[in-house]
Amino acid sequence: MKRRLLLLVVFLTSVFSAGCAPQQSYYFGNYSQTLYASEKYQNEEAYVKHQQELERVIYESEVRNLPIPPGICAELGYINLKGNNSKEAIRLFQLEAQLYPESKHLMERLIQSANAKESTDSNVSNSSTSNDSVSK
Amino acid sequence: MKKFAYLLFGILIIALMSACAPAMNTKLSEFPMMYQEQPLSILILPPMNESTAADAKEYYSTTIQEPLAFYGYYTFPYPVTADILKMEGIYDTELLVNLPLAKFKEYFGADAVLFTTIKKWDLSYMILASTLTVSIDCQLKSTTSDQTLWEYTGTVVVDLSGGNTGGGVGGLIAKAIVTAISTAMADYVPYARQANYRALSSLPYGKYHAQHNKDQQVQFIDQTPEETKTDAEPLTK
Repeated sequence: MKRRLLLLVVFLTSVFSAGCAPQQSYYFGNYSQTLYASEKYQNEEAYVKHQQELERVIYESEVRNLPIPPGICAELGYINLKGNNSKEAIRLFQLEAQLYPESKHLMERLIQSANAKESTDSNVSNSSTSNDSVSK
Repeated sequence: MKKFAYLLFGILIIALMSACAPAMNTKLSEFPMMYQEQPLSILILPPMNESTAADAKEYYSTTIQEPLAFYGYYTFPYPVTADILKMEGIYDTELLVNLPLAKFKEYFGADAVLFTTIKKWDLSYMILASTLTVSIDCQLKSTTSDQTLWEYTGTVVVDLSGGNTGGGVGGLIAKAIVTAISTAMADYVPYARQANYRALSSLPYGKYHAQHNKDQQVQFIDQTPEETKTDAEPLTK
């Protein structure tokens, strides 16, 4: 009897707390955790993990048929921009602007700087083979 | 014993229900500017940390985006905007407090910016229950009118021991062990996120939420302490 009552309490608690929480419509994965780790440790390992998590969030959102959460494509694009992968950066910025028109203004700004970077990058790669990521 | 259990059950239900809907304030009466201006995009500024916890800033800033997105807003990616602000020479949000915010509209296209002051970020380790106590002061300000659209001043206490409510003496011991383990792991990110969720509970829903523009009459617990309330009033109206 006591056990059943306890079960009921647990059940009701979950019902009430679910009623209070906002509705789930995005998949964020471990975004906060990996972002926290990269802010805290600021090392290559944490950065790579966070980038992989961003890629995973995009992939999982598509699998689950959910919209990609705001800011994710833009952030991944920014990482690509810093890693001298301007083409991919531009693609992601365009995707963000398409998903969230509110971001268009900033995305256009970032696409501009990606374009500028690409033209200087191609000059560099013409003269040498350097295509590695430059440290931040 | 059985009677006692029923009584406990009754109290629990009442406590839970009142936590969800104590008739205090409606979102519309408290934050009319939110419904007038209808901000869609929010730029999160680096928090101002007045607490003694050095890493409170990181905990807060890395866990605020997610709840804001779930509330239906477009949030600019914090790591990106923080980086851009740094490149523009803005390291401290303190410097921006009384300045016109039109620049944020111009540069980022943001409808509103979120100022946050972390007053307290305390982890207390106790034998039976560890808690995270977060006191914050949030202001969502319009980049068009410089007005405060929404604000929150309050304290959120998050139970770190997992929320298990029952179990007698054996349960308590188990709980103590769980608490010890979970504080040892020191992964407070989910709790920080939970604290942020609770702080946002009076925020009207944004464009990407099904309840957008339907929550004017939703009531919430007014956590603003009485003594500061009179000071805060002119800002909201």
